[in-house]
Amino acid sequence: MAAIGVHFGYTCACVAVFKDGRADVVANDAGDRVTPAVVAYRETEQIVGIAAKQGRIRNAANTVVKVKQVLGRSFEDPEAQTHKSESKCPVVNKGGKPRYEIDAGEATKFVSPEEVAKLIFHKMKETAQSALGSDVNDAVITVPFEFGEMQKNALRHAAEEAGFNILRLIHEPSAALLAYGIGQDSSTGKSHVLVYKLGGTSLTVTVMEVNSGLYRVLATHTDHSTGGESFTQALAQHLASEFKKSFKHDVTGNPRAMMKLMNSADVAKHTLSTLGSSNCFVDSLYEGMDFDCSVSRARFELLCAPLFNKSIQPIKSLLERVSLSTNDINKVVLCGGSARIPKLQQMIREIFPDVELLNSIPTDEVIPVGAAIEAGILVGRDSFLLDEDSITVDCCAKDILVKEADESGADVYTVLVPSGTPLPARRQHTLQAPGSLTSLCLELYQSSSSSCALQEKVADIVLKNLDPIEEIRDIVTVATMKRDGSLHVTCVEQQTNKSEAITIAAAS
Amino acid sequence: MWDVREPASHTDQGGSPCFPVFRKLNGDCVGKLKRGKMLKEALEGQLTAVCNSIAASVQFQVEPVGRWFEAFLKRRDRNVSASFQELEEEEELSEESEDDELQLEEYPMLKTLDPKDWKNQDHYAVLGLAHLRYKATQRQIKAAHKAMVLKHHPDKRKAAGEQIVEGDNDYFTCITKAIEILSDPVKRRAFDSVDPTFDNAVPSKSEGKENFFEVFGPVFERNARWAIKKHVPKLGTMDSSFEEVDNFYSFWYNFDSWREFSYLDEEEKEKAECRDERRWIEKQNRASRAQRKKEEMNRIRTLVDTAYSCDPRIRKFKEDEKARKESEKKAKAEAKRKEQEEKERARQAEMEAARQAKEKEEEEAKQAAQQAKKEKEIQKKAIKKERQKLRTSCKNWNYFADNEADSVKMMEEVEKLCDRLELVSLQSLNEVLASGSKEQGKAAVEKHVQEVNAQLQREREAELAARQAARGMEQGGSGAGGVSKGWNEEDLQLLIKAVNLFPAGTNARWEVIANYMNLHSTSGIKRNAKDVINKAKNLQKLDPLQKDEINKKAFEKFKKEHVAVPPTVDNAVPSERFDSSSSETSSPSWTTEEQKLLEQALKTFPVNTPERWEKIAAAIPGRSKKDCMKRYKELVEMVKAKKAAQEQVAAKSKK
Repeated sequence: MAAIGVHFGYTCACVAVFKDGRADVVANDAGDRVTPAVVAYRETEQIVGIAAKQGRIRNAANTVVKVKQVLGRSFEDPEAQTHKSESKCPVVNKGGKPRYEIDAGEATKFVSPEEVAKLIFHKMKETAQSALGSDVNDAVITVPFEFGEMQKNALRHAAEEAGFNILRLIHEPSAALLAYGIGQDSSTGKSHVLVYKLGGTSLTVTVMEVNSGLYRVLATHTDHSTGGESFTQALAQHLASEFKKSFKHDVTGNPRAMMKLMNSADVAKHTLSTLGSSNCFVDSLYEGMDFDCSVSRARFELLCAPLFNKSIQPIKSLLERVSLSTNDINKVVLCGGSARIPKLQQMIREIFPDVELLNSIPTDEVIPVGAAIEAGILVGRDSFLLDEDSITVDCCAKDILVKEADESGADVYTVLVPSGTPLPARRQHTLQAPGSLTSLCLELYQSSSSSCALQEKVADIVLKNLDPIEEIRDIVTVATMKRDGSLHVTCVEQQTNKSEAITIAAAS
Repeated sequence: MWDVREPASHTDQGGSPCFPVFRKLNGDCVGKLKRGKMLKEALEGQLTAVCNSIAASVQFQVEPVGRWFEAFLKRRDRNVSASFQELEEEEELSEESEDDELQLEEYPMLKTLDPKDWKNQDHYAVLGLAHLRYKATQRQIKAAHKAMVLKHHPDKRKAAGEQIVEGDNDYFTCITKAIEILSDPVKRRAFDSVDPTFDNAVPSKSEGKENFFEVFGPVFERNARWAIKKHVPKLGTMDSSFEEVDNFYSFWYNFDSWREFSYLDEEEKEKAECRDERRWIEKQNRASRAQRKKEEMNRIRTLVDTAYSCDPRIRKFKEDEKARKESEKKAKAEAKRKEQEEKERARQAEMEAARQAKEKEEEEAKQAAQQAKKEKEIQKKAIKKERQKLRTSCKNWNYFADNEADSVKMMEEVEKLCDRLELVSLQSLNEVLASGSKEQGKAAVEKHVQEVNAQLQREREAELAARQAARGMEQGGSGAGGVSKGWNEEDLQLLIKAVNLFPAGTNARWEVIANYMNLHSTSGIKRNAKDVINKAKNLQKLDPLQKDEINKKAFEKFKKEHVAVPPTVDNAVPSERFDSSSSETSSPSWTTEEQKLLEQALKTFPVNTPERWEKIAAAIPGRSKKDCMKRYKELVEMVKAKKAAQEQVAAKSKK
């Protein structure tokens, strides 16, 4: 059973296919694995993708870009207003909803953002079908975490219009975690993951907690002013100044020339992520003059240094918000096209020196791959339908600890059940004790902070009258927590099979 | 990529679910948990105890992503906790262990079975599973088969020195056939469907009436095995709630059975030699299967119908429902009745209140009237007294006269004063007379006399004017008269009115009048200008007798109409007809007769008469006091106007 995952971004869309147990991104008809989310309206046809993006130089008024910004929003929405002011394609108010005013030959068409999204989804579907060679409808689609109900519905509607059978809408950071299979190989354990997504126009940093295989968003920060486009802009400005220097012409006032420069800068930027230098070449940029300029990676990094700093900034503030230190983060996932930039990766690595930086999957493909994996999990299941997009789960409120002593005799606490564990849960640990002791005590504590500083003793479990033995004792401790939070702990001393159990009621 | 299937175990170490818990731990404690941390020794006297309650669980939103989420969702939907799932797994384990000591019932007839007649053999019995039948798990079937093979395989028996029938005729073939059927889920289902031990019987109504639950309970339990859906609702007991019973019957009325009858197919498809034959066989089989399936459905239906009709609970529910409805109805009727009563009571109370209010009003009015009467009497008495006083005082002064004639005249004047002066002026006059000297008294009396005379004079003039006006009106009214052919009274009246309406000098006067007549006539006769002129001339020539007659008739007619209308209304809304016919005497409704009466009354009740206008009104039938006063004022005004005009004329002539 094949299923697909679609990531529908502000600037680009990408589709991955789950087939035969693995998920892979599919290249479109132009051979690109990522399709620009640009739709150009011509008199008789609509063009989606790279052709539309390149044709934008001549057809800016009828080319829709960044449609995701207005999708499912009312005209008065500030986001929609920003989009209106930025868009080269006129946006008008039709009954409180934004509509693109498209000049279709003799008549003027009013196109809704949903229709534009539908065309893009349709393109993604075609791409997936061409790769699979068969019709495929089941899809998982990613949405940003901050998307509201209206926007989700609009996106869902657009995808359904395009012929998709939507298995589920999942949040982008969750998809990123899933792409790397974080927390999927075992149903226990707790970790914190930071998802750093730097896309074309937006920066999203999310801190997630993975507990028992379930993901939970702790905090998120979104900044719509930072993104790959601002880097391109900076580079284009630099190119324009270079042009001015050599030809004494200012092209910044000429929108077409600037658009050409932007396209060239975009290509150069992509190249600079892999190569040390790139050559920008624009034919007849201004008044028939060709432009040729070489940019080194160092130059680019210098140009964008303030922007990079700005992009990195939210990480620290976000960690402060959830009161976690960089050491508490177990993994960092990079996604979004701009997270490829080597300098940025280096900067993130500097923030998290001991943390695994996950970037083995191309960063702009992480999210669709995750979506495809989720689609693979869901497809063929009869009851994958969810009424709500996120589900509330009873979770353990505090860490349950047991006091032990290390070699030097100092108190050490071992977590039996970490906080945030979905309930009901059963955790099994094998504790050890010197065989010479004839009686043992398990002191159980609960603590709300991760620093173990504020413990509250909840119970003692005492094993008595043990026969002394040569080797080290193993005590199997099973902690079972019910949905209301009450805990039952059983200890079994393996060698003598002596056991002790206790039930601790939950505070109401 | 990991595998997408449901996670089997929820414990720390994953691993195969087939192994019991302890086994997997043994390898574990060495590798994973060697941390150099040791548990502490228990202190003296320390006991296992709870010293604090644990924090209650909190709710978090989780992302709907990943296989563990799906596992969680599934558990939640099935309402099963993780530990329960483990229990289930453990149960499976224990079942497996039971398999080892699976009790096989030896089938005594096994050795006598004819392999050719395999279709009629009981496959479960052959494998020694007769006691488990359809409940036997695949594992059990396999184990049983293994045991049977070990025991009955020809090779084994040969080794044991037994005689073997060569080829397919050995009874071992039956065992092979049995496992062939039972190991294939489709074939096994087909065999289960026609399980020879299954009791298809449906209890009759009479049986069910007596002890419903004992009779139907096992029957439904027996038939529940055919249900496609799991969790067949139980028949329940007498105390089952309505929902439970309803659920039970709706389940059974919509019963979905997996029972099918392919096992009983008479022909075997595989035996067919060609496609056509195969098709024919298929058709035959399908028909017979459908027939049997139908019978089966009918059987279930009959069973449920019978049960439903016998079910004492259904009867009870129906009765309850009926009783409930009845009581509801009763309550409704009661409520309605009460409401009506309430209404009736309210209405009566209202009426009573209205009646009382009316009585009170009447009483008050009565009292007020009495009061007014009393006051009037008092005033009358006072006036009388004053008059008397005036007379006596005048007499005392000998009427301020020296000779007899003067005194007589003065007496007359004083009488007039007495008549005309009102209470206040009489009093003041008396005071003057009493306090002042003779001269003063005389002057005062004379002054009053003069005033009264002037008033009288004015009245007389007004009367005169009124008379003149009345005469004018009479003359106007007598401008027409006589009855001739085609001219009835109404038309004549109309003509007169028209003539007055359009006076001489009107443009095309007679055509207009004719037109007017045609428009307003009720007789429907069309007249032209000539007719109208002739008639008008005729009328002018008529002798006074006829004039009188016509006037009288007109008056009578008027009176008739006038009487029909209540007098107050009459005055307030004067009819237009009179308005136009007597435009000179502004007030429309005053007829000559009434005018005369008014004049008479004015004369009989002089100015100083107490309640003069009331009396005048009383003298004129059908006229109120207000009417009379109004009329009088109009008359006065008219007279004044006339006088002014006369004076003007006189002035002009002087010049």
